[in-house]
Amino acid sequence: MSLSSAPAAPGQPMLRWHSRAKSIDGVAAELGRIWKAISLTSGGPDGDERRVAARSSVMNLVVIAGRGEVGERVAAIVEGLSGRHPSRTLIVTPADPDGPAWLDAQIQAHCVLPSDAAPETCSELVYLTLGGESGQHLSGTVAPLLIHDLPVTVWWPGEPHFESRSARELLPMADRVLVDGSGWSGDGVPGLTAMAALPARFDVEIADFAMLRQARWREAIASTFDRPALLPFLGHLDRIGVHYAAADGQPGTANVVRPMYHVAWLASRLGMTVVEPIRAGTEPWSGYAGLLRHGRRRVPVALRPMESPAPRGTTLNVQLHATRNRSQLWVEVTAYADGVVVQASLDREPLPERRFPAPRKREADLLAETIEAAGKDPIGADVLATAARLVA
Amino acid sequence: MSTKAPVAPAPPKTIRQERLARDGRRRRPSHPAGVNPLREGLRLERVPDPHVAVLFGATGDLSHRKVFPALAQLWRTNLLPADWALVAIGRRPYDDGTFRMDIAESLHRNCRVQLDEESERQFLDRVFYHRGDFDDNTLYDSLTAKLEDMHLEHDTRSNLLFYLATQPSAFPVIVGQIGRCGLDHEVHAGGWRRIVIEKPFGRDLDSAKRLNREVLKVFRESQVYRIDHYLGKETVRNLMVFRFGNGIFEPLWNRRYVDHIQITVAESLGVEERGAFYEETGAARDVLQNHLLQLLSLVAMEPPATFAADALRDEKLKVLRAIAPPSRHDVAREVVRGQYDKGWVAGVPVKAYREEHEVDKDSETETFVAGRFEVDDWRWSGVPFYLRTGKRMAKRASEIAIQFRDVPHRLFADANTDPQPNLLAIRVQPDEGILLRFGSKVPGLGLDIRPVTMDFTYGTAFSTDAPDAYETLILDAMLGDQSLFTRADEVEAAWSIVTPIHEAWLDQPAPAFPNYAAGTWGPEDAEELIQRDGRNWRRL
Repeated sequence: MSLSSAPAAPGQPMLRWHSRAKSIDGVAAELGRIWKAISLTSGGPDGDERRVAARSSVMNLVVIAGRGEVGERVAAIVEGLSGRHPSRTLIVTPADPDGPAWLDAQIQAHCVLPSDAAPETCSELVYLTLGGESGQHLSGTVAPLLIHDLPVTVWWPGEPHFESRSARELLPMADRVLVDGSGWSGDGVPGLTAMAALPARFDVEIADFAMLRQARWREAIASTFDRPALLPFLGHLDRIGVHYAAADGQPGTANVVRPMYHVAWLASRLGMTVVEPIRAGTEPWSGYAGLLRHGRRRVPVALRPMESPAPRGTTLNVQLHATRNRSQLWVEVTAYADGVVVQASLDREPLPERRFPAPRKREADLLAETIEAAGKDPIGADVLATAARLVA
Repeated sequence: MSTKAPVAPAPPKTIRQERLARDGRRRRPSHPAGVNPLREGLRLERVPDPHVAVLFGATGDLSHRKVFPALAQLWRTNLLPADWALVAIGRRPYDDGTFRMDIAESLHRNCRVQLDEESERQFLDRVFYHRGDFDDNTLYDSLTAKLEDMHLEHDTRSNLLFYLATQPSAFPVIVGQIGRCGLDHEVHAGGWRRIVIEKPFGRDLDSAKRLNREVLKVFRESQVYRIDHYLGKETVRNLMVFRFGNGIFEPLWNRRYVDHIQITVAESLGVEERGAFYEETGAARDVLQNHLLQLLSLVAMEPPATFAADALRDEKLKVLRAIAPPSRHDVAREVVRGQYDKGWVAGVPVKAYREEHEVDKDSETETFVAGRFEVDDWRWSGVPFYLRTGKRMAKRASEIAIQFRDVPHRLFADANTDPQPNLLAIRVQPDEGILLRFGSKVPGLGLDIRPVTMDFTYGTAFSTDAPDAYETLILDAMLGDQSLFTRADEVEAAWSIVTPIHEAWLDQPAPAFPNYAAGTWGPEDAEELIQRDGRNWRRL
């Protein structure tokens, strides 16, 4: 066990406590000791007591880290969220599945001083490495370490296996599951379908970083139709196109979860139904195509790969076309370094360009956003369900 | 050949006929007309309509420090419509170019988040300077012509938001001129007209009534947005969520459980460069009449039936009307005024109020006021509300403290320490948050009780940067939401409490000012005021 009492600089996370345990009971005992060891109060200048450390009471975060390096990356992100981060984070890494059962836990307390006058806010981080069969019984390992009465979020970085035993054991105790669909292998479509089924199976909320990252796109697209003169065109869309970055144009090699979410969001908000699901073409660079219905109008959808240095599957632009009373509206939303730009033309007359500066969000920002938006997200759920229907 | 007039189908009479008739109709769109369905679930579910804002007093301090930075933040975060423009009206000899340079400097100095170059350019390109005197007809005639052109050029659909950030004496003149030119007339097909008016709204009950009459001769009440920037502060807005979004507090929020309530708005600053203004205003007019009484009404009001603007304001008004206007005797006994002497604030020596720039050497203007008020209604009868505000106090702190009653029975008579009554403190600024104090047993063999606190601080619980109050309020005015603005009858009700205090002071002998040292918590009389009831001001 080690204890640091060095004064903290505002905003700078400090490792205040570090110890190790070899059993669940040992971990629980060490977690209990942290709050006895860290001084909660100190004498103030006029004899009163001043609070110096407070434990954050936000949520339990359980991270399923398939590999050790994923655990380290996640730990760095969680430490960086000090002051507004989860009360207790359990980073679970299974190891040596065929060996004997064992458990190794590193227990840490990280604190941060939000400002000079404020108390330090602390949270606990437990690295759990589960050897042998221990790694197969996650509910028995994780459940005793959760702080009761706080919501449980399961963050599954990398490629989650929603049909695995781990998922069946962990998801019933979770309130929310965090994933990043843009990092899945292949085109990511099978994962999308499996994920869309989770809310009904386990009564959990889903938050996909891939969808959260698109907030600036959605703001930009919506803003075009804030103009009273353009709003009526929304009921007359007759073409939706999304270009995404690809390396070789071979079908199924670039993850299309993000482009798919763009279409799903539009379809879900505008009440479109699927006539022909979106399917991959067979030719290189042919992308994906489908057909939606909006009222009596049929709306072709095309996801087109484009050669680009951007990571594969990154949305490069979203294009919308609408025809109303023989007037034609063309909207193109394109990504640039720090945001997106909306260009539109009405009957070929360009409308003023508008930029939506919004730096690309890091995983830490998205995690913080998800932690704070603790409530239900019916729009996100609807978009996910629509995405699953688009590819069914 | 006979021609038959077409027979209109008989209207459905039974529920079956009605259902069948409805079935036969075309399905309605899932969203109402004029609503952008893509906005659902985004940061703002509605953005302001395209419009032109007309800012009077655009070269003044308030515009530079608060209004332009707030507008620029709204632009930066894409909360202003693309079709938006601002006409800045002032007396100084600027043109568009020089005025924009001046505003750019202010933005660099006062914006909480700096705009990138492109956003700043786009924002400034939408600002147009229009020079003139507020009482000059030609200003308004040329403004009318300019606005017509701008509506065409910027496609702003005749929507106009007037913002009066001028000296209060100019309000009636400007409003009258707007009326003369017909700029207040709302156009049938869209084309709303709204006016935002800065405080102070009058300097007593009569002048407030006169001003209301002048404004309401031209605008309808639904077009008028009287700003009290305290109502835009995040913690104040949270007060309603805290009270009515949580089930456990409201049952305790009454005379049965609450002993008393303290509301403090303390400033460590002096009058700075506003000596002339402050000489005519004083703490009661500057803070008590608006901020303090608004906070009181939010704390004491009944739950409104809906979150609609008038439902909220009706409840706040009931509270203000339940406070009896103080008699001269009440003022002498229940209200304390003070003026700061020289002293030390934050380790720095500061001068006395009477030594400040543009302040009379024999000034009788109060820089501190404290009072004991009672809300005579079913919920609060007998519960005192202690209000205090002052300049050059020990520190800047605004807080609402709800002190609960003591336990009815001393069960722990043998304990070394008596349990202190519970306290709920809502910190408005700084360190915005909420604190709940309760007693806890000190671990050990004995039975000692010590107060402990549960402390929620905005800064540590949420990473989101709270908008400035002006951003919130200006955006609400653009959206047509009056919830956070004061209504004419509210303003008058507040003046009917404060005006008798001023009148009573006029009848009293000259006060023995200065009566508190800068850097303290006010005059000793203020301590006596509360100690008479066996209570103490909270140490902040």
